[in-house]
Amino acid sequence: MDRPDNVLEIRGLVKDYASVRAVNEVSFDVRRNTVHCLVGENGAGKSTLIKILTGAVGRSGGRILLNGREYAPRSPREARQRGISTLFQELNVVDQLTVAENLSLGREDTTLGFLRRTDKVQRMVGVMNSLEPSIDPRQRVSTLSVAQKQIVEIAKAVAAESEILIMDEPTAAISEGEIARLFAIVKRLRERNVTVIYISHRLDEIFELGDAVTVMRDGRHVATRPLAEVKDRAELIRMMLGKAVFEGYQARPAGSREVVLQVKGLSNRKLQDVSFEVRRGEIVGFYGLVGAGKTELARAIYGADPHRGEVLFQGVPLPRRPDQVIEAGIALVPEERRSQGLFTILTVRGNVPVMNMARISRHGFIRAGEERRATREAIRRLRIACSGPEKEAAKLSGGNQQKVVFAKCLFADAQLLLLDEPTRGIDVGAKSEIYAIIRRLAEEGKSILVFSSELPEILSLCDRIHLLYDGAIKGTLENGAGVDSQEVMHVVTGGR
Amino acid sequence: MTEARASVLRADGTTAVRAAVKNLYIYAVLLLIVLAFSVARLDQVELFGPGHFLSPDSVVNMLRIAAPILTLSGAFTLLMISGYIDLSVGSAMSLAAVVFAFLVRAGAPLPLALPLTLLLGLGFGLLNGLLVMRLRITPVIATLVTLNLFKGAALLVVPKGLSAIKGVPGRPMPAWINDYARAEVILGLPWAFWVAVLLVGVLVVVQRRTVLGKYAAAIGGNRTAAELSGIDPVRWVWILYLLVGVCAALAGVARASYMSLGDPLSGDGMELDCIIAVLLGGTAFSGGEGSVAKTVVGALIIVCVTTGLMTVIPAFWQTFAKGTVLIAAVALNHLLVRERTPL
Amino acid sequence: MDTAAVDQGSVQVGPAAGRLSNESFITFFMIAVLIGLFGMACAFVPNFFLPRNVLNLLTNYWYIIILGIGVTFLLVTGNFDMSVGGNVALTGVVAAWACQAAAASPNPLAVGLGLPYGVAVALALCCAVGVGAVNAFFIVRLRVPSIIVTLGTMMLSRGLAQVITRGAQRNTSLPEVFGVIGNTFLPGTPVKVAVLIMVALVAVASVVEKATVSGRRTYLIGANAEAARLSGLKVGQHVARLYLLSGLLAGITGILLSSEFKAGVSGRASGYEFDALVITLLGGVSISGGFGSVLGMFVGAIILSVVTSAATGLLLSPDWQFTLKGVVTFLAILAQRFALDRRNG
Repeated sequence: MDRPDNVLEIRGLVKDYASVRAVNEVSFDVRRNTVHCLVGENGAGKSTLIKILTGAVGRSGGRILLNGREYAPRSPREARQRGISTLFQELNVVDQLTVAENLSLGREDTTLGFLRRTDKVQRMVGVMNSLEPSIDPRQRVSTLSVAQKQIVEIAKAVAAESEILIMDEPTAAISEGEIARLFAIVKRLRERNVTVIYISHRLDEIFELGDAVTVMRDGRHVATRPLAEVKDRAELIRMMLGKAVFEGYQARPAGSREVVLQVKGLSNRKLQDVSFEVRRGEIVGFYGLVGAGKTELARAIYGADPHRGEVLFQGVPLPRRPDQVIEAGIALVPEERRSQGLFTILTVRGNVPVMNMARISRHGFIRAGEERRATREAIRRLRIACSGPEKEAAKLSGGNQQKVVFAKCLFADAQLLLLDEPTRGIDVGAKSEIYAIIRRLAEEGKSILVFSSELPEILSLCDRIHLLYDGAIKGTLENGAGVDSQEVMHVVTGGR
Repeated sequence: MTEARASVLRADGTTAVRAAVKNLYIYAVLLLIVLAFSVARLDQVELFGPGHFLSPDSVVNMLRIAAPILTLSGAFTLLMISGYIDLSVGSAMSLAAVVFAFLVRAGAPLPLALPLTLLLGLGFGLLNGLLVMRLRITPVIATLVTLNLFKGAALLVVPKGLSAIKGVPGRPMPAWINDYARAEVILGLPWAFWVAVLLVGVLVVVQRRTVLGKYAAAIGGNRTAAELSGIDPVRWVWILYLLVGVCAALAGVARASYMSLGDPLSGDGMELDCIIAVLLGGTAFSGGEGSVAKTVVGALIIVCVTTGLMTVIPAFWQTFAKGTVLIAAVALNHLLVRERTPL
Repeated sequence: MDTAAVDQGSVQVGPAAGRLSNESFITFFMIAVLIGLFGMACAFVPNFFLPRNVLNLLTNYWYIIILGIGVTFLLVTGNFDMSVGGNVALTGVVAAWACQAAAASPNPLAVGLGLPYGVAVALALCCAVGVGAVNAFFIVRLRVPSIIVTLGTMMLSRGLAQVITRGAQRNTSLPEVFGVIGNTFLPGTPVKVAVLIMVALVAVASVVEKATVSGRRTYLIGANAEAARLSGLKVGQHVARLYLLSGLLAGITGILLSSEFKAGVSGRASGYEFDALVITLLGGVSISGGFGSVLGMFVGAIILSVVTSAATGLLLSPDWQFTLKGVVTFLAILAQRFALDRRNG
């Protein structure tokens, strides 16, 4: 069979969500038996592109050719059948089965339903052993480390004769030593006629592994180049950032110098010795890419995850349960709006007062008038576009849903707000509205912590920026004209 | 580096101990219970003598009583491994018993009555599978409602004024109805017991050696992974519901044969016995793992406790004792199933 | 620019002011079903539309409705309580036992603790709440699925009732006062005080559900337990309280029923846990949580009442009741889902 040089050809691919064009006329080729890296900031459109390739979402336009043939999978299963396997961050192995059982899952040789020990299983085990001899095929998968589980999944894909293996941030959850082993395996995959599409924020990995790189920005394709032609990290970073267009940071009058929050030596499973201070009226940013520990830091301060170390709020040690932290005057806008922040089946009125029911109740009874008034006030103040307090939260647009979550926090009278990815999945207009809200709150004397993986957001909002990588603060800078975004990108992608 | 290795070893050590405890505790529990009942009342009865817990008569009797739950609990385990539940098994069993007795009394020979009853069992599974897998009604609710459907149907089969399908003047129950669950075939034990043993054996093999057993664990363990591997949970779990239905019908036949009548309440509470057996056997609530073989040991524990207690305390303690055993099983299961995530 | 964004937002939200919430929609839907069924029953069943019969329809299931209140709240948060039936039996038996004269008698079932009625009632209610506490401990603290735990406590409480009554009942040497509350009628009516208590409890529960912070918490937890936790709700504590409440309501039911029969019967209330679940499902409570109301449950109870009494009137023997309940429940679940899907597109 005549096989084109390019295993995958993407032509004019478009994906529109309600009001956002997530992938905009993207075209590039992936050469056979290479490691093709995909880089870009958060929100650049990588994950949507991957979702289209794996069949998790449909496309709005454009074509994809796999081995020269039209490729439009309707489900991840169909994608697998066509030879595109994906190593998701959420691993798809069955812990309760053995390694060998996992390898053959769904592709068993059977006689009348009985499992047969055929060459096929042997071959699969052989594939895995050639990748990583230390894993015993009889071992239960629950006894393996994350990295070993990844290898089992890779072996399964290889044994299933997948032509393309997509790896989405495979190193986010594994240790240095394991990364080295994983890389050795990835490098050997091309001998087995597997093309790897590799997504990572760690640029060193790209240089170590990749044959070619595609850079995306704002849903568009910026460039696809052999890595040999890319000079250094700086050049890659320039491509990723482009002429970053963002609202400039407006230096704000220095507020009072009163320290509101002191964090000393905060550590847990994901965080290493994080220490910093926040003053009244300050907006402090935590910038880092996926897996850097932003969400973990926000949740630890909030008391939602266990941690060691000291957190002082207004000079007093902060309790370690969300309800008590809220009472102390801190509120969180969580990362996942729909699953953690919002009660989607309830109305706007049902959502707004949740964090401070005492304000709309007397002796345990809800004062309905007060509640409606408070909700209308929130709708007016945050300009939530909805038909009224009785609108179901599920039916609002993303930006307005996020404003409802903000309204919840404001209603709690919080003096300090933890904002985890405050504008994720929100269209540009709503974004700038939310920025305006954040600035106004800071002017009112509230302190704000912004946890974000979008550099323009951090640069336009924050007075001080902490750079996170691997659960630790790797650098701190005062915002202003002198901030070099390329230097920032260098730090948060693991550069020293 | 060496430190890391040492901690890995230590982790392995404790894991090994935990695994051993997990694998063996249920046998220890069974042994303890048997011992306790053997020692009880020794001042009144002779060891292994008539009336003693371990006298041949008593053992045979217990195994005969155990036949229905042995017949049913294996399939029930496989279903729970896949993360689903069937609370209707008890009344499914009653309905099957009633229908079987009805057919036998109506003059149907065994080769007709038995397949028809098993076909009915297939129908139970078909209905439960339809409600849970196709119409996506929460398993607990769907099977609680079918529990009452089957119970109602069983009551309807029994004519007004009678409490069960049994021999009446003019229409006696053929004596052979007894053969299956009472006639001594091998070692003084009836067919019902040996069929149950055979079924258990088959299901142990099914769990360990067939795709059905493997897919049940895969679906219960990580549904997404199973689906991505091309396994259709609807189809496979439906098969398990069918299996449970047929086994419930067979258990009903055993019960009807043992009592020589079709009692519409005879299976009441069987779902709880099955849950106790499965939990004692260490099957996780959330599915993914479990063992047919250990469930059988759990079932034997229940039978020992219920029959053993009858010799020591009055019958009205039964329900309380069973409730205690269930809650104890929940607590024990909680302690043992929670697996620490490896480092 | 800002206004542009706002306009863009309001394009997506359709004109929907004044629309019913899904929950009220389902309640009205089931009321419509009820009226339809009632009309059909009046047309086809002889003597159905008599004031006496209508009154019966509304009051028949008072004990299930009281139990249904706790079951509804729990189901809204996504939890089951199958222990209510056993708990009713236990409470009745304990109340009787505590009340019986302590004097020696050849019949062990006639010998009680000789406590005053008030103390006996308090003791029985404590037992009932205790069962709720056991449920709460296993479900909230050990995170065992509620269906398994409450099936266990169902047996435990029923078993305890059987132990206290030796598998039978305690109905001798009871003081006069024991039978008063269950057999008193409202002056000039055939309505029992127990029915009044039921109506009062439903009214209070409806107010609690819609107008208090505590009721609001129930819905928040059911709608999204994780968001509720991050919004500062004590999720475990609240669910635990609901189990205690459910236990207390079972206790009240047990006291009333044992008084009505002037006996503590260990076999009392068998299957009530299922009936309570059925009426909540008929009333539109969803197990996926955050959805349903006490008023809906009440409507569900009346529907069940109409269906079963119409069926009895139509020559069906009472043996049909289980089958009928099952079929009706499935139809209701599917009809509600269909109606909601159609409505929400």
